[in-house]
Amino acid sequence: MAFAAIIVFGGAIFWKLVDSEFQRIFLQAAIRGHYTFDSAYDIARDLLSWHLAGLFVGVFLAGSVLVLLLVAATRHGIGKAVDSLRAAAGGDLSTPTGTGLIGEFDRFGKNIDDARSETLTSVQEIRSEAAALAAGGISPEDFRLRWGVLKQRIRRIAP
Amino acid sequence: MSGPETQGNGPLIHRRYVFGLLLRLCVNTAGGVGILFVTLFFALSRPLPGDYAGVFHALRNLSPFLRPILAISVLLYALLACGSTSALCIFILHKVAGPLYRMELLLEQYRSGAPTRTVSFRSSDQIQPLAQAFNQWIGALRRDRQRWLATMMEAERHSLQDEATRRAEMEAALRKITGDMAGYR
Repeated sequence: MAFAAIIVFGGAIFWKLVDSEFQRIFLQAAIRGHYTFDSAYDIARDLLSWHLAGLFVGVFLAGSVLVLLLVAATRHGIGKAVDSLRAAAGGDLSTPTGTGLIGEFDRFGKNIDDARSETLTSVQEIRSEAAALAAGGISPEDFRLRWGVLKQRIRRIAP
Repeated sequence: MSGPETQGNGPLIHRRYVFGLLLRLCVNTAGGVGILFVTLFFALSRPLPGDYAGVFHALRNLSPFLRPILAISVLLYALLACGSTSALCIFILHKVAGPLYRMELLLEQYRSGAPTRTVSFRSSDQIQPLAQAFNQWIGALRRDRQRWLATMMEAERHSLQDEATRRAEMEAALRKITGDMAGYR
């Protein structure tokens, strides 16, 4: 949509400028009375060339700025997600990803945060249970049962 | 131009890809402007009438006559440029949003508890470090999981010994696992 807006805006400015210039130069050429040209193109050649060059440069530069902004936003958003996943590999599952304000990246960052948060919850629950079992004071039957359940819960981490 | 590179891997978005985008944008814009030029050239290059009065009247009436032609030319330019730029946007989406979408599906799969496979993007896709970072995380979790299970199984090996020794070994294993898990925060 932003690219389309640039193109349409550039076209509209071109149309407005060229239309008013055409009205001026053809009227001037008619009044001058010394007709040394074969077609209207000979009169409007320079004007048209400059305005077309201006349209090209304007649209291309604005489009390039937009492309570079999109690339920068992508780098920032995905870079944060990569940093977050690398931190998770080191055990940090709680620092928010903070991918930025662009909707797509923000949603993706939240997905990563949710996945990390669920993993952390799971690990903390297992840790609490392991600590409770290690503390002793549990009957052998109960201990065996909870030991088996704990193993199953550990197996469910990153299946 | 390539921006901050992630440690140990290639850039998130390759410089060549960005230059490719700008080149395509340049070609699109030049194509649109070229079509606009050709349309106006044909409209303006009709020979003017031979006699003096004919040329005078033709020039005086040319501006209103050219107005709809100019409007249609600009409209044609806008439509063609928008069309080709849409194709450019699809190219961008294919290389960046495609891998991102696949990663989202994988994250959903991971959260649902289903077995998660390692992710790999096509070699031409951008944001490759994202897949590597995800695999690194899942790999670290799996290594830890295997280590905890191995610790528990090692403790279970003492099952043939007396109850007190076995229980002591198991509790020691649990303490080791608890200490190991403290690294997760």
